Amino acid sequence: MAAGLNGDDRLERYAELAVRVGANVQPGQQVFVHPMVEHADLGRALVRQAYEAGAEYVHVLYRDDHNRHAMIGLGPDSALTYSPEWAKELMLSEAGNASIGTTGRPEPELLADLDGERVGRAIQLELAEISQQQHRDNSVNWCGVGAPNEGWATQVFGEPDVERLWEKVAFCMRLDEPDPVEAWREHMARLDTRAAALTELAPDALHYRGPGIDLTVGLLPSARWGSARFRTSGGIDYVANMPTEEIFTTPDSRRADGTIRSSLPLVLNGQIIRGLELSFEDGRIVGVEAETGADLVRSQLATIENADRLGELALVTNESRVGQSETLFFDTLFDENATCHIAYGMGLPYAFEGEPDEGSNVCKIHVDFMVGGPDLEVDAVLADGSEVPLIRNETWQLVA
Amino acid sequence: MDERLERYAELVVRVGANVQPGQEVFLFPAVEHRDLARALTRQAYRAGASYVNVIYRDGHTRKAMIELGPDAALTYAPEWQKVLATSTGGNALIATTGDPEPELLADLDGERVGRAVQQELVQIQMQLMGEGAVNWCGIGAPSEGWARQVFGEPDVEQLWEKIAFCMRLDEPDPVAAWQEHLARLGERTERMNTLDADALRYRAPGTDLIVGLNPSVHWASGAGDTATGIRYVANMPTEEVFTSPDARRTEGTVRATQPFPLFGQIVRGLELTFEAGRAVRVEAETGAELVRSHFATIENADRLGEVALVTGESRVGQTGLLFYDVLYDENSTCHIAYGTGLPFLLDAEPDDAFNIANMHVDFMVGGPELEVDAVLADGTEVPLIRNEEWQLD
Repeated sequence: MAAGLNGDDRLERYAELAVRVGANVQPGQQVFVHPMVEHADLGRALVRQAYEAGAEYVHVLYRDDHNRHAMIGLGPDSALTYSPEWAKELMLSEAGNASIGTTGRPEPELLADLDGERVGRAIQLELAEISQQQHRDNSVNWCGVGAPNEGWATQVFGEPDVERLWEKVAFCMRLDEPDPVEAWREHMARLDTRAAALTELAPDALHYRGPGIDLTVGLLPSARWGSARFRTSGGIDYVANMPTEEIFTTPDSRRADGTIRSSLPLVLNGQIIRGLELSFEDGRIVGVEAETGADLVRSQLATIENADRLGELALVTNESRVGQSETLFFDTLFDENATCHIAYGMGLPYAFEGEPDEGSNVCKIHVDFMVGGPDLEVDAVLADGSEVPLIRNETWQLVA
Repeated sequence: MDERLERYAELVVRVGANVQPGQEVFLFPAVEHRDLARALTRQAYRAGASYVNVIYRDGHTRKAMIELGPDAALTYAPEWQKVLATSTGGNALIATTGDPEPELLADLDGERVGRAVQQELVQIQMQLMGEGAVNWCGIGAPSEGWARQVFGEPDVEQLWEKIAFCMRLDEPDPVAAWQEHLARLGERTERMNTLDADALRYRAPGTDLIVGLNPSVHWASGAGDTATGIRYVANMPTEEVFTSPDARRTEGTVRATQPFPLFGQIVRGLELTFEAGRAVRVEAETGAELVRSHFATIENADRLGEVALVTGESRVGQTGLLFYDVLYDENSTCHIAYGTGLPFLLDAEPDDAFNIANMHVDFMVGGPELEVDAVLADGTEVPLIRNEEWQLD
């Protein structure tokens, strides 16, 4: 840790990085901040930094898993998928503006005692549609960041050592660098170079091999590989995830065959999915097994259209700072950047120059899960059937 | 699960807002009130709510807006908030008070703090209130910060005990205790309506004020009914009998008897002088700038919107505490409010006598030395309050 980098100063610098490099808030924009109630300290710092960056107005919408627990546990069926008018209006207002969400659940298993079928069904359908449209339009400069708190630290370390969590988070966020903004610029350029090389290779498919894993996923010729550095339709460059260590693409959702096994537990909607195993035939998930949380995943696949198809493939290597921190964060933003991951659900429109390919999956959810580790081998399958190694022992194989 | 918290939330949901099966419920807690907000959410669903909307507010983000935001942000009412406010019509609403940092904005420019009112939202709320469209309730939410403000230390347990007393949660059957209490206030209200006074006269050290009353506005207390007949109690606790005066006929001087929190500052030693209904002079030891900013920038904020009578029987008063929270302190003793009249008290279309403003600020004027008289149409004066005791039988 750099000297002096602690307490309030660290919080403000962290928030400043999220506002300036992440969402890249522009003067005159409105900003929508979506923290959990337990993230109030960071939420407030983000608001201050957004105004400092020239925001015209900052909206703060706190969310609370406990109220969600009450809704799913005690509310009527219709509440599960209900999107209030005001929430729709709110989300529509984000178009053309900046949005910052925070992750780091203080109680990742809060919903473990609820019926997984109901937890899986609980999605605000109309809001999800608006969100999908905004992703397609690339109309929002958005960023997700982690918000250290006692509960999250307890989940990670077995004790509420928030200071230790802060150190890990600061390392992953490059806040320990003398000039974090410059460090991020270099980091993103490196990821973009790697992505460009893979786009140029133009594989027809990826082949994943490992213990319990033998999966081939078709790729789309019109989908490029990219980093999480995006540009809005209005021309604002932003980094959608901080940290981010991945290069990703949106696969052909019609072509996935074989079996994949998750390598890390996954926090999903207030439950933890452990030992997830999915089997695919012709792009669709036909088998779901898990040690915990299987009901929740099955409910999503059964009730949400096209949730049973893949929406993302992402490659992460051992250069990842998140991976180097050797910490299981129980938070997808961090854990998905520790190692290779794939996602079922919505295909990411960001992989396409114009309109997404018809093979890009259209769905109201997007769930990342981790599949990487020392034993995972990832190959590019070229059009002529030859295979080019991409990842061995978490190390990048392609010269680029 | 905290049993006391759940009982408290249940009382608020069932007796306060009186949430009906199938209604949506809108909760507006501060982030520091999340324990109570969660209990209210649970109890609202148990009462049959179709959906519970929880919109947390945060004094710190408001502070950032006033301190760092552009001028236009001060009064900006986002479209989604207008939709939200409108959506409360026909539904139930519960707001929580108990500021964990009542002086959070003390270091900001009082003029900006005073101007920072989302007037378009207030207008929607006033409209709905006038239509009797919302069964709503305001309650206190104990927090460490609030306890520190009251006791000088974060003794939340002691604050809980006081609140439980004021809320009649110490009674074997709190619901029955509330029915009795509301009936008692109802009798007093009936008496004031029958008396049909033309004005009230306030006398105390630093106070000599006459407030004209409005024949088109009735006195009310405790329970009210929505347009569709849902009976609710808008404030818990509530100890007052109140009306909205003739805003054109206020003359004289009034001195606040307690400090009160206002927009993140504390106003101490407020003295207002009225001529022909309008406040023409504002003095205060702290917070004068904020009050002056209200009067200067918000139309009709400088006229009165409420007069309320509270006596020594008040449980809040009996605690002997200064809560630094208007919901509590205004129920400990007599108070008046500058700003808007309460539209649900109107028996006719509002006329010029009924004040309409985009704010409503209560402050306390009661105490052992305050004498309140009713002035009848023929000029005779009838004592209402002496030494905090009710005089009319």
